[in-house]
Amino acid sequence: MDGLSYALTALTTPTIVLSAAGGVLWGILGGALPGLSPSIAMALVLPFTFDMSPLAAIIMLTSVYIGAEYGGSIPAILIRTPGTNAAAATVIDGYTLHQQGRGGEALGLSLVAGTIAGLVGLICLVFLTKPLAMVALYFTPPAYFALAFLGLSIIAALSEGSLIKGLIMGVIGLMLAMVGTDPLSGAPRFTFGEPDLLGGIDYIFVMLGVFAVAELMNKVSTPDDGEGSVIKNTITRMRLPGLRKMWELRRAQTIGTGLGIIEGPIPGAGGTVAAFLSYNEAKRWSKTPEKFGHGSEEGVVAPEAANNAVTSSALIPTLSFGIPGSNSMAILLGGLLIHGIQPGPMLLSNRPDLVYGLFGGLFMANIFMLILGMLVLTPCIWLVNRPKPYLTACIMMVVLSGIYSINQSLFDFWIVLAAGVVGYVMRRLEFPVLPLILGIVLGYMIESSYRRSLLLTNGDHIVFLQNPLSLGLLCCAALIIGLAAYAEIRRARKPQDMHG
Amino acid sequence: MRATFIVSCLLFLLAVAYWLGADQISVSRLAGGVGADGMPKLLAVALGVLSLAFATQTFFQMRAKKLAAPADPVKESDEPANWHQHARAMGLIVLGGFYILLLPHLGYMLSSMLMLGGVSFYAGLKPSLRMLAFAVIGGVVYYLIFTRILGIPLPSGFWPRLF
Repeated sequence: MDGLSYALTALTTPTIVLSAAGGVLWGILGGALPGLSPSIAMALVLPFTFDMSPLAAIIMLTSVYIGAEYGGSIPAILIRTPGTNAAAATVIDGYTLHQQGRGGEALGLSLVAGTIAGLVGLICLVFLTKPLAMVALYFTPPAYFALAFLGLSIIAALSEGSLIKGLIMGVIGLMLAMVGTDPLSGAPRFTFGEPDLLGGIDYIFVMLGVFAVAELMNKVSTPDDGEGSVIKNTITRMRLPGLRKMWELRRAQTIGTGLGIIEGPIPGAGGTVAAFLSYNEAKRWSKTPEKFGHGSEEGVVAPEAANNAVTSSALIPTLSFGIPGSNSMAILLGGLLIHGIQPGPMLLSNRPDLVYGLFGGLFMANIFMLILGMLVLTPCIWLVNRPKPYLTACIMMVVLSGIYSINQSLFDFWIVLAAGVVGYVMRRLEFPVLPLILGIVLGYMIESSYRRSLLLTNGDHIVFLQNPLSLGLLCCAALIIGLAAYAEIRRARKPQDMHG
Repeated sequence: MRATFIVSCLLFLLAVAYWLGADQISVSRLAGGVGADGMPKLLAVALGVLSLAFATQTFFQMRAKKLAAPADPVKESDEPANWHQHARAMGLIVLGGFYILLLPHLGYMLSSMLMLGGVSFYAGLKPSLRMLAFAVIGGVVYYLIFTRILGIPLPSGFWPRLF
């Protein structure tokens, strides 16, 4: 009952309502801009959440995520360019429907299917968070170390084809996390006499650099003549589907929602995998599979339901264990830590107001998505049609203005620009970004819990194997790394076999 | 692939430098058995091993590629991709650097105008009255949003001294 009252308090607090509405609005606009992924949209808004209450800040960040996942479908349907990776599956039938003069219908289907899936995903999140939080009582420093180690082992699953590259980026992330004052002794480390580095390197600056600045560098690397992606005469009026229509499409809706909920918590899977999987499954189970690829309504509903269901279920590992499974969740985790909130097993017992308030905020964000999704269609189309150089300049200014708002320090600008260069080089050499972020975010937790555990046992490492929870988590981590290494070896052998 | 090999060597050098940096960390009894330098040294070793493994992997891949297609000069010249593109990308960082240097002197509004105009020009727009209007109006809008509405104390530059 307390949970419900916390959620209702959030629902009736004007600043929270405004945060959710503002977040969804920015998310839809950001998601609609091709190249601006949900994680970049979240990173851009992160500096402006500093002066907000932790709850308002977290609701704003998750609302951006929710809005961006829907926003990505607008250019996917109208200009055959997915605004986000997860909207790529929507292009197939969404754009065909638009060519048939049914773009408004496709947008309506995408919006309603996404809202329903988001709300169902939220219900799952509410029911799953509490049982997972029950294990909180068993968490001691060794278990926390093992949990952080498990989080790092996910790097193996997120290495996008090269385990060594992923591990290298994870180690560099941890190295950056070591900068600043030592958590136990207070000794300065790698500060080079610079007072601005005594507090360490804020995750936010690295995130802004490797996501936003690197993306802008990529954009300007090929000059644009200023015409942008203009598609004239595509102003479409959205047509929401009726209840009967949604009942007809219930199979695709259920498949999309179900797969989205399952895929969301899996590290590295996310909305894109869920969308393509559900498109495939919806086609397999459809009564009219021949329509897929030729303007099928189910072909729009299934992927859109999937990528919106992911927005809720992806929160489960982030909130319950402090383990982010995607770039967007890593930024949310950074946002939580910046506001002094340690996600993990104790979150629900320590801050029930925040967890249940967030659930209330997510409910609101999904409703706002339905309302704002209809209202901002025309501005979105206008924005997508702006010449790219103007957009690049505006986004660069948002980044630069946002950095200064955090510490009012010019030094932070240099960190962001340096992180931008690193992010650009990583992208060109195909190094994955997420392990770097995971390393920075989990660095403090892994070091402090490791050293505290050893303090308790006078340096005896057996403590990590004596605690059953710690042992179980370490075994899971070993399994994840082992499977990734096995997959890597198999991948490496394949071409040799072919040559042989 | 040659660029990847060079990067792996640079990563090894970074690991060595990081170890030397970790060695400079002052030791305290409060730090416990592991010490403030323990984790950084462990990470330096990890990066060293990984970068060597990466260099070896890249070396063998290069050799295998050479054996598979000995006369493929086109591929070789493709690496490292397109230096002109990379130089353009770095140009944005240079613009950002100028912005940081000018901001305390010119103030937020004027610096923003220059930055908006500079980046849109650099990103491909031809100089025009429309671009100038975009930079000026954009600078004012950003000033109003960040300084007036959000109340962020952004540098005001030399302007207060004039009035």
